[in-house]
Amino acid sequence: MENQIALKVSNIDKFFYEPSKFQVLKDINFDVKKGEFLSLVGKSGSGKSTLLYVLSTMDTDYSGSLEINGKTLTGSTQNELAKFRNANIGFVFQFHYLLPDFSTLDNVMLPALKLRKKSKEEIREMAYENLKLLGIEDQAKKSANKLSGGQQQRVAIARALINEPAIIMGDEPTGNLDSKNTQTVFDIFQQLSEERGQTIIAVTHDDEFAKNTDRILELSDGSML
Amino acid sequence: MIRQTNFQVAFAHLSSRVKQSLVAMLSVTFGISMYIFMNGFMTGVNDVQNELAFSALAHVRIYRDLPKDRSNLLASKYDEEATLINIRNPKTIQYTTGIRNANEVIDAIDHLPEITDIATQVNLNVFFRNGSAKINGLTAGVNANDEEALFGISESVIEGSWFDLNHRSDGIIMGVGLAKKLSLNLNDNVQVSTADGVTRNFEIIGILETTMAGVDDMKAFIQINAARQLISKNRSYATDIQVNVADFEAASAVAAKMRSLTDLKVESWIESNGQLDAGNELRNIIALAVSFTILLVAGFGIYNIMNMTVNEKIKEIAILKAMGFEGSDIVQIFLVQSIIIGIIGGIIGMLFGAAVSVVINQVPFQVASLETLPMSYRAKDYVAAFGFGLITTFVAGYLPAKKASKVDPVTIIRG
Repeated sequence: MENQIALKVSNIDKFFYEPSKFQVLKDINFDVKKGEFLSLVGKSGSGKSTLLYVLSTMDTDYSGSLEINGKTLTGSTQNELAKFRNANIGFVFQFHYLLPDFSTLDNVMLPALKLRKKSKEEIREMAYENLKLLGIEDQAKKSANKLSGGQQQRVAIARALINEPAIIMGDEPTGNLDSKNTQTVFDIFQQLSEERGQTIIAVTHDDEFAKNTDRILELSDGSML
Repeated sequence: MIRQTNFQVAFAHLSSRVKQSLVAMLSVTFGISMYIFMNGFMTGVNDVQNELAFSALAHVRIYRDLPKDRSNLLASKYDEEATLINIRNPKTIQYTTGIRNANEVIDAIDHLPEITDIATQVNLNVFFRNGSAKINGLTAGVNANDEEALFGISESVIEGSWFDLNHRSDGIIMGVGLAKKLSLNLNDNVQVSTADGVTRNFEIIGILETTMAGVDDMKAFIQINAARQLISKNRSYATDIQVNVADFEAASAVAAKMRSLTDLKVESWIESNGQLDAGNELRNIIALAVSFTILLVAGFGIYNIMNMTVNEKIKEIAILKAMGFEGSDIVQIFLVQSIIIGIIGGIIGMLFGAAVSVVINQVPFQVASLETLPMSYRAKDYVAAFGFGLITTFVAGYLPAKKASKVDPVTIIRG
């Protein structure tokens, strides 16, 4: 299991055309093993977030190839990619991006309801378990926009976990949190990677956070260092 | 197949924006109720108009047309270019007027299945006299039962009884205005003189009020045989054969069929009273134009509100897409919202439209034979209003939904 490849990128180049043509990613190649906790670091504008969105399958405007769980995703249609994301990738963003009209529990359940692999009851049970894992099960019935920032970020992680995805991706998942909550989120990620064998890729510019991860990938001017 | 999860999201969106949803619903309600009211009112007006018109007008009239100009009898014999013809003081030679054998004509057309009623009439220009009062008018010799079947004329008789005409060969039923001008009342006598100088006494056995001046001030009815007698004609003589058909809008087609069966002039009401038909058509067009405009405005209302929703929820759309919702899911989420708005707004609109119609139907309007403003309640107007309402909301909801489905999550999430 340790040596299985979760994600493989080869020869990824990407250009921005606005305001003028500019190569933002230059020949990126790397593998991520299953269960690895990886951090992507670099200065602002180094292309680390851009790379993450390419890895996330949401950004398809690149050349090169992307493989997740042994499946080549480059060239798939938007709908295929959406289905793939639903089942295999969990997201945690800098701003939590919960749906404010839903309760905490409904927010967590939503990706699984979309996937429809399990019954609603099973999904509810799993959502509760995830909330418990993150220590916020008592907030389950609350409306998502009534939680504190740290709590919301934990709900977002619970949501990212609901479909037991192969990879969890975080774009500055602690960027908006104080040091106490940052530590909590980090501990959760570490726990997930160690105990559940989850692959985690997080973009961060928090050196403290990056230092404690399994591996650091640094980008500078679109190239890997 | 609409996925349950999409329903759930759609409901959450709707219930989080109750006010805007209500405004959108109201615009549909308003559009649909106005559609129902406008069409009901116009149809009501048309129905009244037709009812009034057909109380004196048959769907098809058969009569003998006046002969062509025959003042130059030699025209057919000589080449007009080369020959100069001068006929001094030309007199028209005798020609046939009226229908000499009406029964023969009736037998010829009677088998047409579209025909519901046939009445023969002998219409005469006469003078009515009472003492020194002398008024030019019209007398129709009719069969009381046939006339009733075609025009429902007995309803207009305000004094006496229409059906007395069946057994009173000396009876006459007179328009109320005509009787007044002659200072005559029920059971009084009146002298009727024809153009040929034949005079006869009749007793007034009924007074008629149709609200149409052309009838009330001009016309009287007598037995058809009495009329034949007045002009010394045979028992089967008639000036007009009036025919009603099952569907008055198809009168022209039936008239065309009759034309092949008789060489008399056959004229449908659409040919003789084109303004009636034109009026009906124009009112229908106005009703449609107004109601479609209102529905269009309602559509813009929904479009606007759904567009606002999409803009407001753009981050949520991005996050849903990031979580794996496909473009078609997003379309469904927003389309479901506008269709729910359309259905609820439509149902309320139908009820409201019916209520408005009932209220307008009570407004007093005492002109001609009307008591209140006319209104018709046709199920097909309600179905059409609801259908058009749904189509409008579907189209108005689809455009913003399509736009939402095209949201690029990367641009939104990265800011």
